[in-house]
Formats: sequence, C-alpha cells, structure tokens
Amino acid sequence: MKSWFKSGSPWIWMTAGAVSLSLISVLGLLLMIAWRGLSFFWPADVYEFNLEQGQATHKIIGEVYDREEVSAKRLREAGFTIPQSQGENVERLLVKTGNREFVELDFRWILETDIQSAEKRSGIAVFERSKNGNFYGYVDHVVIDGQRADSAKLDSVIERAVEINEQALDLQNDEIGSINYRLEKIRLEQRALELENELTDEIKAEYQAEIDGLNKSYQSYEKQLFKLRQAADRDAVVVKDMRGELVTIPAAQILDVHFPNDMSVLDKTARFFVQIGKFVSDDPREANTEGGVFPAIFGTVFMVILMAVIVTPFGVIAAIYLHEYAAKNNVTKVIRIAVINLAGVPSIVYGVFGLGFFVYMLGGSIDELFYPEALPNPTFGTPGVIWSALTLAILTLPVVIVSTEEGMSRIPSSLRQGSLALGATKAETLWRIIIPMASPAIMTGLILAVARAAGEVAPLMLVGVVKMAPTLPLDGNFPFIHIDRKFMHLGFHIYDVGFQSPNVEAARPLVYATAFLLVTVIVALNITAIGIRNHLREKYKSLEH
Amino acid sequence: MISLSPEVTKINNAISPNELSAEQTALEMRDLNLFYGEKQALYNIDMKIPKGKVTAFIGPSGCGKSTLLRCINRMNDLVDICNVKGEILLEGKNIYDKDVDVANLRQNVGMVFQRPNPFPKSIYENVVYGLRIQGIKDKRKLDEVVETSLRKAALWDEVKDRLNDSAFGLSGGQQQRLVIARAIAIEPKVLLLDEPTSALDPISTLTIEELINDLKESYTVVIVTHNMQQAARVSNYAAFMFMGELIEYSDTNQLFTTPAKKKTEDYITGRYG
Repeated sequence: MKSWFKSGSPWIWMTAGAVSLSLISVLGLLLMIAWRGLSFFWPADVYEFNLEQGQATHKIIGEVYDREEVSAKRLREAGFTIPQSQGENVERLLVKTGNREFVELDFRWILETDIQSAEKRSGIAVFERSKNGNFYGYVDHVVIDGQRADSAKLDSVIERAVEINEQALDLQNDEIGSINYRLEKIRLEQRALELENELTDEIKAEYQAEIDGLNKSYQSYEKQLFKLRQAADRDAVVVKDMRGELVTIPAAQILDVHFPNDMSVLDKTARFFVQIGKFVSDDPREANTEGGVFPAIFGTVFMVILMAVIVTPFGVIAAIYLHEYAAKNNVTKVIRIAVINLAGVPSIVYGVFGLGFFVYMLGGSIDELFYPEALPNPTFGTPGVIWSALTLAILTLPVVIVSTEEGMSRIPSSLRQGSLALGATKAETLWRIIIPMASPAIMTGLILAVARAAGEVAPLMLVGVVKMAPTLPLDGNFPFIHIDRKFMHLGFHIYDVGFQSPNVEAARPLVYATAFLLVTVIVALNITAIGIRNHLREKYKSLEH
Repeated sequence: MISLSPEVTKINNAISPNELSAEQTALEMRDLNLFYGEKQALYNIDMKIPKGKVTAFIGPSGCGKSTLLRCINRMNDLVDICNVKGEILLEGKNIYDKDVDVANLRQNVGMVFQRPNPFPKSIYENVVYGLRIQGIKDKRKLDEVVETSLRKAALWDEVKDRLNDSAFGLSGGQQQRLVIARAIAIEPKVLLLDEPTSALDPISTLTIEELINDLKESYTVVIVTHNMQQAARVSNYAAFMFMGELIEYSDTNQLFTTPAKKKTEDYITGRYG
C-alpha cells in the first residue's frame, strides 16, 4: 500500500479523475442542450386521446410534450378520482393541443388513468399558422375561390398562399420599407435646413415634389399589397377539430402543413432538417414563441465582429505601450494590475457604465452635434449595436492586453537585438518582428474575448439589445450598415423566450434550441479564430533554443 | 606556447596596435568607462582597432569583453541602467555624441550574436531585412545583394534553390552563416562577432572561421571568443581583458608567444579562466 502511494499512481488517478469529470460535465451539458433543442424539430407523432373524466368523455388531439409521475394521494386530495387499484404514483402527460383560439389552454396535463385509448390516427394534419400557433385536426375539404374542392388540392392551395404571402412581405419590407426610410430622411433633411435657416421655398418645393412622388409610388405599392393580400385570402381549408366541429382556416394564415402520423422516417428526417433550416433563417413570430431566430443570430455575430474590430487594435496598442515603451517601474505595475483586475468587474457594471457614458454622454453629444434635426428623438443617444460593441470591447480589453503582452514577452530577445543590430529602429522592429510574431498570442486574446463577449447578456440589456428589432443593422438602405440600430441577441433571446414569454410551455423547446444555437455560433466563431491562429503559429514558429 | 597556423605567423611582423596611423585605424576608444548602475564594468579602456584586420577580445567570463563589443554599436543602450563615459571614434566621429543616429550607426557596425537568431521569415527575407529597413525596394538590387552576401558568407551554394524556404529549416551552422550574410548585406564598415561559434559544432565552427578569414578582406572584424585557439587561428590582433580592464593588447602572435604581462601569461597557459 505504501509503495502504491509512493509510486504516484493515486496522484495519476486523482488528476485523471478530475479531467474526466470536467469532460463528462461539458459533454453532458452539450448533449442535453443538443438533444432537447434538436428533438423539437423532429416531427412528433400526434395522438388522438379518448378521455373519460367522471361521467363525461371527450376527445383530445395533440402531441405528447412531457411525462411525469405525480403522487396519487396528492391528486385525490386535489379532487381527482383515481381508482384504488392504481399504485402510489400516477403518470400524467403534457399534451400540446394547439387550436389556441378554441380551447382555453393549448397545453394541458392529462392523467394516464383517464386515458381510455390513445391512437396515432392516420390523416391528422398539423397546420403551422402565422397566428395562434398550431392547429391539429382532420382536413375535411378545401375551399378554392368560394368553391368547395377536394382535399387533395390542399398542397397547391397552401403553396399558392405561402408564395403570395412571401411576395407581400418582400414588397412590404423592401419597396415600402425603403420609401418610408427615404420619407423619414427627407423630413430630417428639411428639419436640418430649417434649423440653419436655409430652407428656402425653392428647396421646400423640391422636397415636396419628391415627397409627392414617393407618396404616389407608396400608394401604388399599397394597392399591390392589398391585391396580394386579397389574393391570398381567396382560399381556405376546412378542418374538423377535436371537438368534432368544422373550422375554416384562411389559407393566408397557413404557413405549412404536415401529416406526422403518415410520414416515413425518411420524410421525417427531411422535415427535421427543413425545420432546422427555417429556425435558423426565419424571423420570429408570435412574441418570439414561434418561427425562427435569424435576426438574433445575425445580431449576435454582427455585434461580436464589431466588438472584435474595436477591441483588437485598442488592446494591441495598449499592450505595446505597456510592454515596450512604459518605464518599468511601480506605476506601470499598478496599471498592469488594474488592467488585469478589470476582467473581474461584474459585467452588469460595464452595462451601467456603457449606458451612462456611451449612450447618454457620448451618444447624446453626437446627437446634439450631428443630428440636431432629429431631436428630441435620439439617433445615437439611445441604446444601439455600436454602444453594445463598445461596452463589450471594454469588458474584453483586459483579456486582449494580457495575452498580447504575454505573447510579446515570449519573443526571444535575440530576435529583437538582431533586428536592432541591422539598423532597425525600435518602431521598425515592432512592426516587422514583434507584432507579427505576437500575432498568434493576439489571436488567442481575441478568441477569449469573442468567447466571453458572445455569451454576455446582462450588459447588453442596458445598451442595445431588444426583444424584437424590426430591422437588421445591415440592410439595403444607404449607408447599409446602421450601427445606431438596436439589435436582437441569442443570449437575450433565450432569456426573453424562456422567462418573459406569454406561453412558457410552447417556448421551452425553443429555449433549448436557441441555447444550442448560441453554443454553435460561439464555437463557430472560435474555430474560425483558432484556425487563423494556428496558421499564424505555423508561420512564425520560433526557434526553440 | 600555442602552435599557430602558418597563416597567422605570416603577419608576425605586424605593427603594434598603438602605433597605428589614423588611416589604419577603424575604431578608437578613448578612456572608456562603463557602469551598470553603481557597478563599474569597464575601466579606462584605450585602444585602436585596425582597419581591415581581425581583432580578438579574449579573457575569462565576466571580464567585460562582450560589454566592450556591445559598446561599439551601442547595443548597451538597450540596458536601462547602463551608463557609458568616454569616447569611441568611428572614422574620427564619437559615436556617443548626442547627434549620432543610433540606427545609422548600427548600419555601419554590424553584429552577429552568440546564438544564430534568424527571423521567422524566408532565407531571402532574412538577408534583405536590413535593406528593406533602409527602404530599398528595387527587386533587382535586392536579388543581387542576396546572392553576393550569401556567396561571401559561403552559404550560396547550399541555399540557392530554396531562398524562399523558412530560415528555420537550416542547420545551426548554416543559420549562423545566414546571420553573417544578413549583417554584411548592408555593407557595414565594422563587423562585430560575439562568440559566433560557441553554439556550433566543430565542423560548422571551422567553416565560420574560414569565413572570418575571408571577411577581413572587406571589413574590419572584431571578435569576442572564449576559445584561445580560435583567437590564435583567426585574429591578427588580440586584446586580453581581465575584470573590466584591458591588460594587454598586441598582435596575436606576440600576445600568445611572448606576453608582456603576468596575468596574460597565466591566462593563456590555463592557470585560470
């Protein structure tokens, strides 16, 4: 035993155990998020339950979302009738029944003891709608232009409606959107001239002419839009729901239909990937509880890239000064310690600072100086993506400074002296030798910064993130990049969907899916940076003396 | 005492370094004192270094020979606490004058270090580094300099087919010759070698020694070495230093065969050091 201790084996076991434990927890976390998140996209079977509660029987159609064991005793106390034959626990199922406008709750718990039969009946259709969530039922017939038609035409009816809806949306976002943008611009330009007393009647007339022209085209677009909407409203689908009643769903509201009980595994797999694709590329609907998260992905990546663009030069320059030029005395030491400790400040404090300094002071001054025409509406004096990027840049600055400095001190002094001995000045040595050789370390700093920034939510809530941003920070209107706009962020989206949602049950799978996506986005950003770093490392591989 | 190669014995009748005329002198140190903070490292060094010859600084570790060498291209400036008093005249101009451009001085006084220190660049880029610093962009001129410098450094034949490969792919001896090529590419007047072979194997050492012999045709070479045989083999003049003082300085043959000072004799006969 003693020799076993002496051999160091226990130490090896202990260290290896610690590593395994960390590995298991990381993998477990990823697997759980991935499983919960991704299974949401798998087309679940839809059951038709026949329930018996007391004397009444009724039918429920829906997907099983969750199962749990409840104590029979507690249920009896709560007034449920549970047969004595049942053991201590009763299983109950959470069923998503959809059809939100016709039932009180679109999620309901049913007791296993109440279930008389549960069947995966063929022919149950699941409609995804742009309003009121899913609808479950049997397709009875289709109405095309007021005429009753065979339900075989269902697909073509929905395809047509979806296509027209898309056209309408494009029209609204692109053409009408840019007219509105231009009208607002004209209003601001006019106001600006007015403030400088340069608004002559001539200019006014010119503007008026442009406004008239825009209004005219707006009206024609609007007409087109109404026409499209009308066209989309032409058809409808009549569905028999779980109450046995026929419900007419306008085709314009239907986004998609599928028959999960009639799908093969192959069909389901195909649909699984299509659904993931939609989740990643669509806009959210229904207070973020349905639809995709594209604006949030875009906002996260855009903000992180903007932050990286700000923090890298800043951090590198600061590190160069600290390492190369600052006198090596106590003041420098204190500054260095202060910089390192900045990394430990809680992020919400940075948020408060960002709001006070960037948004109100800096943004407010910018508005007064450059955008007086828009006042009292703020342009930059309000939370926006640039302020978020700046706030996170400060938050991650210490990381970049520290790793850059470390990289610079790892460069052998013989190389520095070699360069100086060839008649290079200190600055030339920096540019030609030190910074290129420190670039892998700079990238390491950037990787850490990106990893930290992409996951940060708290400060962003104060300086730019919103639940629902109507426009992306990048669009087709000049100047294309709108750094003053508010944006959506995956981290905040998780918080919003999970905890601020009107429909918690519906949102829960989305929370996992979004969390998984956030991890994926961060990993993707990191892998890109690590790839660049490895390339640089290979390039500047130093001699190992 | 130490058998000298015939090459060295040939210049036996060289003039004493103190009698060098102004034209024959490349460098002159006048009353040079150097302090690291409170501690004095060099004491009243007065010496003339002959033009177009190889001068060796020998002495035990810590005697100040490397420090003295580094004074010549002001590499000691990098040490914050280092303080130099006295003068070093390069072509009659004190290099410690206020108006001297240090970068310009170092272009005239090249230096090769103990360990090969190629930059993490290609062989080609290593050689033209100094020229790029001077702002020379003409590709033809650069190509030409690369070839002549590498030829002078006896490396051309070994690397001419892989000029764009990383310099780190070369062996230690090749790297040291590359570094010498890099130093002579900017055509310095003086070339300082700080124990250039101490990190190399015997065969590479031999190649470098032959190279030093060739270099004195075009440059004034000052070499610091631990190895007395090496000093005897490659140098025309030798200076023995001890505890920061210049004990004896004469032509190499004389220093090794008939040293004037007891300390020199003790050192070269191996009593200490």
